[in-house]
Amino acid sequence: MRTLIVSAAFLALASAFLLYGLNYDTRRIESNLHSLERSTEKAKSDIAILKAERAHLARPDRIEPLARAQGLVPAGPRQFAQTGDTDLFEDRDQVRPAAR
Amino acid sequence: MSRAGPTSKDSRPPRLRLRSAATALGVTLAFLIVGAQLVRLAVRGQQELTTTMSQPVATSFARPDIVDRNGRLLATDLEVPSLYADPGLVLDRDEVAEKLGHLLTELDETEVRRQLADRSRRFVWLRRGLPPGLAQAVHDLGLPGLGFRRELKRVYPAGGLAGHALGTVNVDNKALAGLERYLDEVVGVEAVHGATLSDRAPLRTSLDLGVQHSLDDELRAAMRRYGAKGATGLVLDVETGEILAAQSLPGADPARAAESVDPARPDKLMGGVYELGSIMKMVTVAMALDGGRVKTDSVLDVREPLTAGRFTIRDPHPAGRPLTVSEIFIRSSNVGAGMLALEAGADRQKAFLTRLGLTAGMKTEAGPVAVPLVPDRWDRAETITISYGHGVAVSPLQFAAAAASLVNGGSRVQPTFLKQSKGGKQQPSGSNSQLISTETSRAMRALMRLNVTDPHGTGRRADAPGYRVGGKTGTAELPDRGGYKQTAVISSFLAAFPMDAPRYVALVMLFEPKPVAETRGQVAAGANAAPTAGRLIARIAPMLGVLPQGAAQPLESSEETGEQGVAAEAATNGRFDGGGDAKY
Repeated sequence: MRTLIVSAAFLALASAFLLYGLNYDTRRIESNLHSLERSTEKAKSDIAILKAERAHLARPDRIEPLARAQGLVPAGPRQFAQTGDTDLFEDRDQVRPAAR
Repeated sequence: MSRAGPTSKDSRPPRLRLRSAATALGVTLAFLIVGAQLVRLAVRGQQELTTTMSQPVATSFARPDIVDRNGRLLATDLEVPSLYADPGLVLDRDEVAEKLGHLLTELDETEVRRQLADRSRRFVWLRRGLPPGLAQAVHDLGLPGLGFRRELKRVYPAGGLAGHALGTVNVDNKALAGLERYLDEVVGVEAVHGATLSDRAPLRTSLDLGVQHSLDDELRAAMRRYGAKGATGLVLDVETGEILAAQSLPGADPARAAESVDPARPDKLMGGVYELGSIMKMVTVAMALDGGRVKTDSVLDVREPLTAGRFTIRDPHPAGRPLTVSEIFIRSSNVGAGMLALEAGADRQKAFLTRLGLTAGMKTEAGPVAVPLVPDRWDRAETITISYGHGVAVSPLQFAAAAASLVNGGSRVQPTFLKQSKGGKQQPSGSNSQLISTETSRAMRALMRLNVTDPHGTGRRADAPGYRVGGKTGTAELPDRGGYKQTAVISSFLAAFPMDAPRYVALVMLFEPKPVAETRGQVAAGANAAPTAGRLIARIAPMLGVLPQGAAQPLESSEETGEQGVAAEAATNGRFDGGGDAKY
C-alpha cells in the first residue's frame, strides 16, 4: 500500500517536472516560430522595399539623362541590318582582320 | 485504496481506522485532481496568451502589385511606420507639438495640440506613412505617449508615368480611381490589420514602361516647343487593343491623390470629349469608300463652297480644281469631306459612326470613358460639320480605337489596359466584329501613308524614315461662347505604323499650341502634332520590334507579313493593289 502511494506520488512529481519542461520547451519553440515568422515578414517587406527601390532607380526618367550623358541615343533606322545586305558583310570582312 | 488495509490489522481501534480511511480518500482525491489536470493540459494544450489592445487597430488594404507588360514595377505596397499618439499618456503636449513640428515639416502644430487636448481619447494618428529615417528620429526624441504602427503605403516607383490610367489610393490604401479601382473591384484586395503584404499575383497591364516614357517625354517636349497648354497621346496595338502607353498632360502623379481629382489636370484621353477636327475625315472617307459608290480615284468638284442654312463651308487652302477622293483626304478638304458625307446621307453617317462605336460610351479597366456628345438633330448642316470633325465630340481614346479598326483590316478594337495573351487576337464579339471591309481598310492604309509621303500631304512632317508612318492631321478650333475661337485649337495627329501591315496606332494631341517661329506662325497640326508623332514613332518603333523598311521581319510576325505585306511604292500611287506581292 505504502509503495503504491509513494510510487504514485513519485510519478505525479515526475510528470509535473516533465510537464514543466515541456511547457517551457513549447514556449521557446513558439517564440522561436514567432521570431522566424517576424523575420520572414521582415524579409518580405525588405524585398518589397528593394524591388521598389530598384524600380525607382531604373525608372526611365532617371535612366534617360544618364544614358544620354554617355552619348547613347534611341536606336535609329540605320542601326538595323538586313540579312541580305551583302555590302554590309563585305565591309565587315574588311574590318575584321584589322580589328583582330 | 479506499479499502485501506482491512485484512490483517483489522484489530486497530475504529478511530484509527477512520483516520487512515480519510487520509487515503484525501490522497486519492489529490491524485485524481493532478491526473485530471494532466489530461486536461495534454489534450487541450496551453491557451495562447492574447493581449487585447485598447486602441483601435487601423484597417488597411493589401493590394497586389501593378506591373507593366514586361514585368516592370508600376505600383507596389511598402511597409512604413505611421506615428500615433495616446493623448492620455502625453505629458506635455506643447513640447510634443513643438518637437514634432520641428522634425516633420508638413505637420500642423496647432492641429496636433488640438488633437492631444482630448485626454479621453487613447489613440490619434499624427502622421501616416513616415520615411523610416524620420521615424527613427521621432523615436529618438523619447517622448512618452508616442508610438508607431506599421502600415501599408502604396508607392509608384516609376513616378508620374501613366498617372491617370493607374489611378490612386487613399491613406487607407483604398482605391479612388483608375486601374487601382479595377484592383479593388475585380481582382480583389484584402482588408488587413497592420502591415501584411498581399500574396496575390501582380496585375500585368498592357503598358510598356519604355514606350510610356517616350510618349511622356515627346509630349512634354512638344508642349515646351509649341507652347501648348496641354497634351495627350496614346499608343494602341491595332490587333489586340492593348494600350501600350497613355498619357495626359499636365499629368497626375498617382502618389499625390489630390492631383487625380484636380480640375486643372483632367484626364484628356479618357475623361474628356473633344471635337477632333479633320482626323474625323478618316471616318468620313472610310464610310464613303465602304459604301462602294466612290473609289479613291473618283473625282469630286470641290470648287464651290457648301452651304447649310446660315453656314458656308469652304476650304482654307482651295486647290482651285476638282479633286480625287485621295486628294480630298491628303489636302484635308472640308468641302470634299462634306460632299462625301452628303452623298452617304445623315442616316448612313450616323449608323457608320455608331458601328465604329463613336456615339456611345465605352469602358476600359481604368474606368468608364467620357460619353460622346452627338447632336440631337442630325440634318444637312450636322452631316457636313461632322464629316470634318465638328458637331460630334468624342474622347481621344475612343477615336483611336475606331481608327485602329479602320487600318487593321476592319475588325473591331476594344481598348484594354491588361496584357492580352501572346498572339491573342481579340475574340470577335458577335457577328458584327467586322466594321468595314478589308478592301476599305487597305485603301485607308494607302491614303494614310500617302498623306505622309505626298508633297501636298498635310502629314508629311510625321514621317519617320524607315518606319512607314501614315496618318491624318486634325486641327480643331476650340468652342467658345457662341462660336469657335480662331486661334485656340486642338491639333492632333493620328498615325499608324508600319503602314504596309499596321501594328500600332499612335495618337498625339496638343491643346492650344501657340504659333511659334519653328512652325512659321502656324498652329495647324501638320506643323506641330505631325512632327511630334514622327519623333515619337522613330523612338518607339525599335522598342516595339518594328523593323525599318527593308530589314528582315521577326519570325513571329512573318505570317501577317505574308498576308498583308505590301510595298510602300504601291501606297505612294494613291492606289492600293492588295497584298499579293509581298517583297520579303
